[in-house]
This record gives sequence, C-alpha cells and structure tokens, in this order.
Amino acid sequence: MNIDGIDSLTGFLDRHGCLRNAERLVEYSRKDERPLSVLWINLDRFKLINESLGLGGGDAVIAKIGERLKGRMEHRTHLARMGRDEFVLMASGYGLDEANGLAHEVLQLIVAPMEVGTVNLHPSCSIGVACLEYGESHEMLLQCAEHAMFDAKKQGGNRVIISGEEQVPGRLGIKLAREELEVEHKLHAALEVGGLYLNYQPIVAFDGHVEAIEALMRCELNGELVPPVKFIPVAEKTGLVIRLGEWSLMQAAMHARRLRDQGVPTKVAVNVSRMQLTAPKFSQTLYAALLCSDVPPELIELEITESLFMDMSELVQANLRAAIRCGVGLSIDDFGTGYSCLATLKDIPATKLKLDRAFVVPLPHDKRVYAVVKAITQLGKELGMTVVAEGVENEEQFEALHSAGVDAIQGFLRARPMGSDDVANWLCQRNVALIEG
Amino acid sequence: MSDSQPSAAVVDELLLKTILDIGIPPRPTILDVLAREVRAGDPNFKRIAQHVSEDVSLSAGLIKTANSPFFGFRVRAKTVAHALTMLGLDVSAKAIAGIALRNAFPVTPALERFWDSSARIAEFSGHVVDVIGGHEHVQVDDAYTFGLFRDCGIPVLLRKFPFYRDTLARANTDKERRFTTVEEEDLPTNHAIIGCMLAQSWSLPEEICLAIRHHHDFLLMQTGAASLPPASQRLIAVSQLAEHLYQMQTGMSYTQEWLKLGKSCLIILKLEETDLEDLLADVQTRFSHES
Repeated sequence: MNIDGIDSLTGFLDRHGCLRNAERLVEYSRKDERPLSVLWINLDRFKLINESLGLGGGDAVIAKIGERLKGRMEHRTHLARMGRDEFVLMASGYGLDEANGLAHEVLQLIVAPMEVGTVNLHPSCSIGVACLEYGESHEMLLQCAEHAMFDAKKQGGNRVIISGEEQVPGRLGIKLAREELEVEHKLHAALEVGGLYLNYQPIVAFDGHVEAIEALMRCELNGELVPPVKFIPVAEKTGLVIRLGEWSLMQAAMHARRLRDQGVPTKVAVNVSRMQLTAPKFSQTLYAALLCSDVPPELIELEITESLFMDMSELVQANLRAAIRCGVGLSIDDFGTGYSCLATLKDIPATKLKLDRAFVVPLPHDKRVYAVVKAITQLGKELGMTVVAEGVENEEQFEALHSAGVDAIQGFLRARPMGSDDVANWLCQRNVALIEG
Repeated sequence: MSDSQPSAAVVDELLLKTILDIGIPPRPTILDVLAREVRAGDPNFKRIAQHVSEDVSLSAGLIKTANSPFFGFRVRAKTVAHALTMLGLDVSAKAIAGIALRNAFPVTPALERFWDSSARIAEFSGHVVDVIGGHEHVQVDDAYTFGLFRDCGIPVLLRKFPFYRDTLARANTDKERRFTTVEEEDLPTNHAIIGCMLAQSWSLPEEICLAIRHHHDFLLMQTGAASLPPASQRLIAVSQLAEHLYQMQTGMSYTQEWLKLGKSCLIILKLEETDLEDLLADVQTRFSHES
C-alpha cells in the first residue's frame, strides 16, 4: 500500500507522486529558464528474476536498487518508482549532455553484482533520457523518456538512449543512429569484400581426441578488426545478424566438408543466434546448408546460448527439434552465467553443455566453484550430454576439471583459435602424431 | 563406414561421389583477388586484368558484358583491361560473379537453356531499370546481377534430386500458392533459400541475397513488410516485370508468377498495366539486333 504518493518499498515517489512532481518541476523550469531532464529506467529481465526468486526475491532486488539510487542520486534528482521494475529520475538544471552523463552513472550503479539470499545476480537496466523542450507538457516529457527506454530495450538493454537522437534509415531501411550507420556501412563492406571470416578453436577431450572445432566469426576491414561487441548489436538491429548466422553456418558446413575430404573428419560447432531461431524457415535454411555443403549432419553442431532459455517460444522449440531431426548436434554455450533455468534445460534436446569460463578461472583454488562444476557436470551427464569447459588456460585448471568429471576442454592451454587452413594442418598433424603413437 | 583401409575401388567411388555431390560451387578465387584490390584502396587494374585473362571464358564473358546493349557504351571493349576500366571494379566484380556462376555448373542442354533464359531476364531487368530510372542500391548492374542469380538454386536442386523436374513443373503451373510452398511439399528446403545461401557465400550484397530469398513471396510484396528492404522489393519487382516481358515477347507463359506478383510489382515500380506495351516495344528494339 502506498501512502500519499509515496512508494512503500523504496520510499520514492509513486506514479501519482511523480506526475504531480513533474508538473511542478516543469513549471519551475519554465519560470527559471533552467533545463529539466528525465531518466526513465527499466530493469532488464526482471520478469525472469521474479520467476526464479519469487515475488519476495523480486522485492528485495527492487529495494536494493532503490538503496543504490538513493545513495548516489537523491541529492541531485527527484526519485520515483513508476511500476514494478521502473524508476524515474527527474533532474532539474540538467541539460541533455549532463543527463546523459547521469544516465551512464546510473547504468554503472545498477550493473554491480548483487546478492539476494544465496543467489548472485548481475542486474542491468535500459535507460531512456529526455530533456524538456519548448512547449512540452510534463506528460509529454515523461512519454519521450519512456519511448527512448523502449528503444534501449529493443537494442538489447543495458544501454542509454536519448530521446529524439537523430536516427536515419540505414541501407536496409532500418532507422539507425549516426555511429550505428558507420558500423552498418563497415559490416556491409566486410560482407562484400570478404572481410568476414571464421576462425576455429579446437575442443579437446581428456583422452586427446578432438571433440569438435568451434567456428568464431571475425570481421576485418582495412586491416582493422571490428570487435563483435561493436558489430553484433547493429547486426541485430538491422537484421543482418541472420545473414551473418547463415553465412557462418554455410562456411562452417563447407569447412567440415573440406576437413572430411582431407581425411580429418571433425565436428564443426557454429553459433546460432536467437534471431535465426525465431526467423521463419530456420529448418529449411539448415537443410540448405547441409545440402549445399554435402556434409553429414553429425559433423555439424549448433551452439545456442543460455539466454535463449528466456524465450523458449513454441517456434524456438520447434526449430530446435527440427535441427535434431536433421541429425545435427546441439550444444548449450556459456552455461551457468545467465539465468540457468534447470526446468528449461530438461526440455532442450542438447547433446553438449559448455561451462562458461567464469567457472574455470577460479579453479583449482575455489572449492565452492569446484563443487558447482562437479554438480553441473554430473547433471549434464545424467541428461546424456557431453560436458565441455571453456577458457582453460593452465594445467591446474585442466587437472581440476578432469577430476570433476568434465569430458573435454576448450582454451589456450590446448589450442588458440586458428584460420581455416591452419586448423586443417593442426588436425592433420595431430592425426599423424596419433597414428605414429 | 569402417575405419579400415578402403579399397582402391571404394576410393574411386568416393572421389567420383565427391565430384558429383558438391552442392554449391565455392566462391571463385578471382572474386577474392578483386576484393583484395578493392580493400587495398588503390586497385591495380593491370594486375586484375592479368588474373581475369587467365580464364578464357571469363575474359570473353567480361568483354561481352561491357559491350552488352544495356550498358550503352559507345566505345566497344576489345580487351579485358579495357572492359574493366569501362565497367569499373564494382560492376566488373558483379559481372564476373555472374559469368563464374554459369561456368561453375556442368554443361548440359537443359541447363544451357536455363542459363540462356536467366541471362535474357537479367538483361531485360537491366534494361527496365535503365528505362524507369535507377534507385539507391538498385542500379542497372544490380538488377542484372540479381536476374542472373535469382534462380541459381534450381540447378543445384536439379543435380541433387532427379524428381525435382516434376516439382518444378507443378510449381510453375500453380496459380495460388507460393512457388516455394509447392517445392517444400517434395523437399525440406526450396530453391530461393539455396540461391540466397549461394549468393551469401559468394559475398553478394545483402539486398540481392534477400531479394533472392523472397522473390516468390507475393504476400510479403503485397504488404510491403518491413522485413524486406525497399531495395530488395524493387529488385524483385524489376525482375518479375522483366520475366513477364520476356514471356510476352516469346509468347510462352510457362510460369504463374506475374499473376501472383504482378500487381504488387507495378505498384512498387509506380507503373500502370498500360505501360507494359511500351516497355516491351523498348526491349524488343534494344535487343532485336542480338537475336
């Protein structure tokens, strides 16, 4: 129950209190000719937090976020809680630039890890920023900030979007901000002049046999490597991510075919994005890649990330089942760092589980992490999956993972990512070494 | 298969199978050479010409393309270097991809007919753009390239599945359903997806790849859905119109696509049904000296 425009959980203004306050601040702003900005903050994936921690857990998260905001923002802004997981900060005297700085400060504030009961959470949020314009009402101002927040959410969350930020249609007709246009341009150029290529990193079992090689996409233009964190968000926004995914699938399949022809048949794992799995004709595309490369399906493995668990729609499930029917393997990538939903894990017909490097780094010293690794490994095996550990860099980690029952490892300790010719040579040499004893 | 040493006969059979089974041809290395030159920023035409000249049919094809009527050059190209300079690197790369595409498949009478008609539709497409005017990312050479690659999934499927010929016949006569829907009754995929993936692995622009993928999606063309960039819609419209003109010219209506897509195509191109006669007369005049 809220009393007199105050939210009982956080002590901030509630929706009504916020509207009243905003109206007053707009008036003052006009009178004093001072800028006024609004930050609309929405927690990312809060529904999932609620589902996994229960309502009480959700409240605890909100209360903690409230404390953080209060500690750092109360003296500068008016704080309000607009709904379950939504906050508004009203900053008098703040123009767009200052408000943008403030928003990034909030982003950092929220992203710090948080313990709720026994669970360690990594919250993040999407923030929309709007600055009062001439003739705008307080309702319009709030609405602009909220819309900008939706844009931030659409772009994958954990970011700040400024309302009215100049967006123009990119090459494929999708509206993009100026810096995104530049990345889009680079991406198209890379696609058309062969600046996109795959590197392959081996996954090696403890008995020495090569379990698979994972295809990793690289984008290079004019000698400059464009990091995935830069081009993937733009690729997702423009839909190019589907092309990148299909292109990778086809290249990986053709590489698997070449390796087989060279006498070193090796499974090639390729990442599949959520957008690919929710796009129409996924199974037809997968089949086309197998057909065009003429590679046996068992030499292809699709890697999906755990984040996909958050949206296991009917379509995604059907597409995953279709992939299995095609005969390809299915692997869950980066397991354990997101919201590892065990209920969903049992529904995914995966053949491989890849433990995130976050579980490997603290080994062998952290006994608790070791216990978690051992438990996940056992669970994975009970579900009929091969368990792989990612990011293995030293012998101590290797030994610890071996004794925990992990099946194979991926990391610099055994092999770094290599170009397609190099990985073929690496496999051939290894083959010869194995035969020679 | 066992791990033991295979006999010579088995190896022969495997090799033969490998040659026969290759699904799609890999991206020709000459395109990599061109891409490297473009990437370098200061392309060396002489070096590129040398590379192209190593392949006789590629050289002949490039010169023929530069001299083709829809580019409308007054000067005729006599050498590869000349053709490259006239067309520019970007257009040359697309032209070379088109020629390499045809060369990548085995020569059979049925396929020759297929490529001939693709080439004619590609030329008509280029001409249509010339008449109605270019657009961002839909210039004459884009429409021409799209025309060549649009149906390249068909020869792939013909080589893989002997029954595909019958599938094609049914898809060509179906007046209501999507062409690709009919294909998917017999196959787990369709020629538009295969063609798109070939174009992707040959590094063609995204607008062309998407147009290949959706060139039978009449519902998407009707709704102008956001999932298809304007340039791709325009490419599809141009090529469907070109195919229709080709069928009007030859008097053979062997597909039902204009019935399903024609109206949307005319809307996208801002044309009326009554404009078609003039357009047909135009292409007939332009290409008459060739036939």
